[in-house]
Amino acid sequence: MPAETHVEQGPMDRREIFELVRDRLADILEIEPGTITEGQSFADDLQADSLALIELVEALEEEIGERTVGFRIEDEDLEDLKTVRDAVDYVFARAGKPS
Amino acid sequence: MSDVTILPIAVDAMGGDKAPGEIVAGARQAASEGIPVLLVGRSGELGDVGDLPVLHASEVIEMDEDPAGGVRRKKDSSLVRAAEAVRDGKASAMVSAGNTGATMASALFRMGRIKGVSRPAIATPIPVPGGTPTVLLDSGANAEVSAEWLVQFAQMGSVLSHHRFGVATPRVGLLSIGEEPGKGDALRKEAFELLVAAPGIQFIGNVEGRDMMTGDVDVVVTDGFTGNVVLKTLEGGLKAIVKALLAAFGAKPEYADATQTLMPALLGLYSVLDPETYGGAMLLGVDGVCIISHGSSSARAMVNAIKVGADMVHAGLVDHLRAAVGS
Repeated sequence: MPAETHVEQGPMDRREIFELVRDRLADILEIEPGTITEGQSFADDLQADSLALIELVEALEEEIGERTVGFRIEDEDLEDLKTVRDAVDYVFARAGKPS
Repeated sequence: MSDVTILPIAVDAMGGDKAPGEIVAGARQAASEGIPVLLVGRSGELGDVGDLPVLHASEVIEMDEDPAGGVRRKKDSSLVRAAEAVRDGKASAMVSAGNTGATMASALFRMGRIKGVSRPAIATPIPVPGGTPTVLLDSGANAEVSAEWLVQFAQMGSVLSHHRFGVATPRVGLLSIGEEPGKGDALRKEAFELLVAAPGIQFIGNVEGRDMMTGDVDVVVTDGFTGNVVLKTLEGGLKAIVKALLAAFGAKPEYADATQTLMPALLGLYSVLDPETYGGAMLLGVDGVCIISHGSSSARAMVNAIKVGADMVHAGLVDHLRAAVGS
């Protein structure tokens, strides 16, 4: 990656994590990022099926893994991630910048 | 074949009933015909690979393994590494005769979707004796689909029909239970209206199962469940006919001379009907060329699959798909 586009590495704050989750989800679901809010449920509000969720998880692990080595979303935890907020909280707890 | 050198075709050496032996043999044959190949798999198990480069991958996703789980658990599997090679610019295409779902998941999670594509679909060529093959999609990626996805399948299938089989303006049919507009379930009715209005495709209306092997349609779109049933029904049906023909010819000794005379014609026909001739199906909608070959693929099937992969890279298939569907 060329140096001039390299963003500061290191843990993200909660806002940055939300934006990452929102932007990846928008790519996967082919919807406008601005329409995604924390309170939305993946299945009911966003019609994101299990494949879309796994795509999201893979993308998050890849991106966050560059900042927080070994970051992983456990498969058994996946079913507990029902809303966008759940996903943001989960990632923040494991890879967020301590306040 | 273009003179432009392409990046190697990444071949999953561990996938398929006859892996790694037949896969390596096919790869070596393709390489000897001038196509660059990169073998991906457990280097210690591949046998004599000749001059072929090998990308070592320590894990294998088994044929009966859960696809998404397999990709997530086995990050050093031959399938995942092959898809990463395409993503990272080390290979121009990937070919596997292994677990179909895991091949798709590897391509989806590593290469990613072409921007604008809702869901990739598996496109399988259906033989048309005396004519160009019909492209059937989705033949197994998505059990359930939306009407909008079907329109994208029509667009992607048309691109493939044009670039792989040389059809100038592919005729697209929506697989349904009657030819009249308005036939079919709610999904088909909704998709029909969208297809009529969709730009860039020549929609000829509903088609039925029996139209697949005629020369009347070039691209047939349906959901993955129906597509897979159609595919396997045809496969089984064709096998049964060929078997019955051979049995009929061998039924009496006095048929032997006539059989001898007819054999070249029969073998030619068999070749048209044999899936191995086509190399495999293509996953359309991911950001890279991905060929999914039959689990029972022999070396011959692999050679053909690798050739198709190379041809589609040369044809710039992914760029054409992006232009047809991408936003």
